[in-house]
Amino acid sequence: MTSLEASGGKASSVRFLGRRRTYARLLARGAALLLVSLGLYRFWLMTDVRRFLWASTEIDGETLEYAGTPIELVLGFLVAVAILVPVYAGFFVAALDLGVFGEMAGGLAFLGLGVLGQYAIYRARRYRLTRTIFRGLRFTQDGSAWVYAFRAAGWWLATALTFGLAYPFQLASLERYKMRHTFYGTLPGRFAGAGWKLLLRGVPMWLLVMAPLALTAAAFVEAVDWGALADAVGQGGDDVMARVEGGNPALGETIVFAMLMIGLSVLLAVLFYPVFQAVVLRWWTSGLRFGEIEATSSLRIRHVYGAYMRFLWWGLLFTIVLGILAVPLLIFIGILAGKMPETGAGDIAASVIGLGGYVIAALGYSTIYRATVQLSLWQLGAEALHLSRVERLDRVEARGEASSPLGEGLADALNVGGY
Amino acid sequence: MSDVTVPATTGAGVFFDGRISTRRDARVTLGARTLTIDDAEGRLLAEWPYEEIEGLPGPDGVLRLGRHGQVRLERLTITDPALAATIDARAANVDRSGGLQHRQRLAVVGLSFVAVATLLMVAWFGVPAVAARVAPLLPVAVERKLGAAVDVQIRSALDTKHAGAAFECGNDAGKADARAAFAKVTQRLEAAAALPQPLRFTIVHRPESNAFAIPGGQVYVFEGLIDAAHDADELAGVLAHELGHVAHRDGTRAVLQGAGLSFLFGMVLGDFVGGGAVVIAAKTVLQSSYSREVEAAADVYGVGLMQKAGGNARALAAILARIGGATEPGMKILRDHPDTRARVATIERLAPGSGGPAMLSPAEWTALRGICKG
Repeated sequence: MTSLEASGGKASSVRFLGRRRTYARLLARGAALLLVSLGLYRFWLMTDVRRFLWASTEIDGETLEYAGTPIELVLGFLVAVAILVPVYAGFFVAALDLGVFGEMAGGLAFLGLGVLGQYAIYRARRYRLTRTIFRGLRFTQDGSAWVYAFRAAGWWLATALTFGLAYPFQLASLERYKMRHTFYGTLPGRFAGAGWKLLLRGVPMWLLVMAPLALTAAAFVEAVDWGALADAVGQGGDDVMARVEGGNPALGETIVFAMLMIGLSVLLAVLFYPVFQAVVLRWWTSGLRFGEIEATSSLRIRHVYGAYMRFLWWGLLFTIVLGILAVPLLIFIGILAGKMPETGAGDIAASVIGLGGYVIAALGYSTIYRATVQLSLWQLGAEALHLSRVERLDRVEARGEASSPLGEGLADALNVGGY
Repeated sequence: MSDVTVPATTGAGVFFDGRISTRRDARVTLGARTLTIDDAEGRLLAEWPYEEIEGLPGPDGVLRLGRHGQVRLERLTITDPALAATIDARAANVDRSGGLQHRQRLAVVGLSFVAVATLLMVAWFGVPAVAARVAPLLPVAVERKLGAAVDVQIRSALDTKHAGAAFECGNDAGKADARAAFAKVTQRLEAAAALPQPLRFTIVHRPESNAFAIPGGQVYVFEGLIDAAHDADELAGVLAHELGHVAHRDGTRAVLQGAGLSFLFGMVLGDFVGGGAVVIAAKTVLQSSYSREVEAAADVYGVGLMQKAGGNARALAAILARIGGATEPGMKILRDHPDTRARVATIERLAPGSGGPAMLSPAEWTALRGICKG
């Protein structure tokens, strides 16, 4: 007898029904339309993506339904633009005013838009939840987006000041706020994940990534004669670097050491990133609760690595195709530049082709990333999920109605989107 | 096809009533005008008129239906393909083949072409027009603040060696003669121009043959330009051209245009990947295309100002022909100045004679040429 059965309920897993190929085709077509519409198609693509992911996710025999429409997203975006125009204009004017406020305008704008971005994230979550229908009932979210925004801003500050060590507690606290205000019908959600558990799992990675940076800082403290450095920089003039080197013979070696260490740190961060994602995803899904229904996750780290391997493989193929296509274009530019050097036709062709190539490459890699890593994370996260006492889903009553798409529009205009 | 075989009008489905999440196995019957849903005991659960039935996104092989315009989210799912086909045929808003959606997407693509075209029109005509209207309305005090903000940026961009105060030429005590000679030229131009704001001319250590004006009456002259000039009138001609930019408030206009364009492209086009690069490229191309007309207008102003100040108006043509008009080598297509030959021809047409006596004596010119040396 397992513990779940002992606790008096049946366990159920979540299934993912979507086909990878269908999703890839949807994304590829979307990328082509994004290109020709200069990005305006994104509202339609986003809706298609969500419809696919929602409809492919089956919980206890029933799939989710995404009921949002592209037109709602367009309207939300237009309203957001209308709100942001005066905000941007205000900062522009403030930046001209060279008073105390004017000098701080850049920093204030950054902070203000950062808080507004968090506000948008919360409102966008509300939009997505109220467009998520399961067994004829909506999900809803109450709570104050402003409260969330200021909490999130405070946590980001704490995370920055602790070099990331506060991040698990930030995630836990913000997730608790979100889930406390989330409902499936009348069934209240909550979040039971503890920050310190995530911290314990993450701290070895954090130490390995931070150690080279700490060594670098220590090396600088050791090697640099700060008095001499201050003198050398303070004098000004053309030969600052020469004087700096004269005063600090060990500086050159230290800089080489620092570059190596920073390189090592970045390499470790890249290698650990899938582990980090897997750990966070598993911790997060295991903390989700709706009423008496408890989620547990059996996500494996190697599966997340598998997703990244697929990304690298398709990315490599795409790179080879781009390289092969680039050859005739380069020859074309060469001919143009050779035949008509005065008109600058070669330069124009090079600019246009370079720009087009850049956009196509960026769009291609991001599409491959979505079709491999993003889809896999969704699928793995769902398939690894086990729900206890799932029969409690049978008698939930309806509550709430659809919310405004403004948050989603703001999130889009501020470039802080999610799924 | 449905003409030949008898369409399925009854079958099984799963119904959710939208009040409670209980799953109900249901019997679906397709009537003449409505679809009725009964439970296993034959009790009526719901009756939907066909025109209110809408198809909803669901997984492959499952037809998910809802009733349009209702607060309560009644849901019916049908897996029987024959029954699904009949419903698809009878209810106008059920679109299993995706034909309706396909047409909608085509309309979106068409509309976005229109939107992109509109956006480009606004960028090409609207933003410059608005900037040109707004720039003259800005009070001089605002323009000076704007200029001060731009000045900080420009200085830090130009002063690559971080020389600070030493970046400016002619501040040593020994350069009094050179400063006096330069002031003689600039004061004559300033008096002739009679602009509503005080001007400030600064010579800086930069090897390029260039000069430019920023909002607020600040004019930067590069050491390389003084080296390239054969006499004071050539230098004065370039300065007169720059005062044209000040008089036309081109700097202010450019700042307003830049802000407008970055807003337009950055925000409306959004974060589709590569957007940033497109924005920068579009801004450069658009702004340089504005400036072709602007440069020509400044030439005309410069010629007029030189004539008013009693200098040789043709000198601008001479120095332009020599330094080629391109301010940055290697930026052929995006250069800020229209074709040099056309400009030279225009200036020579506007200024037929060679004008009055030289603006500076040979001794004064020699002193001025040494302002950045030593």
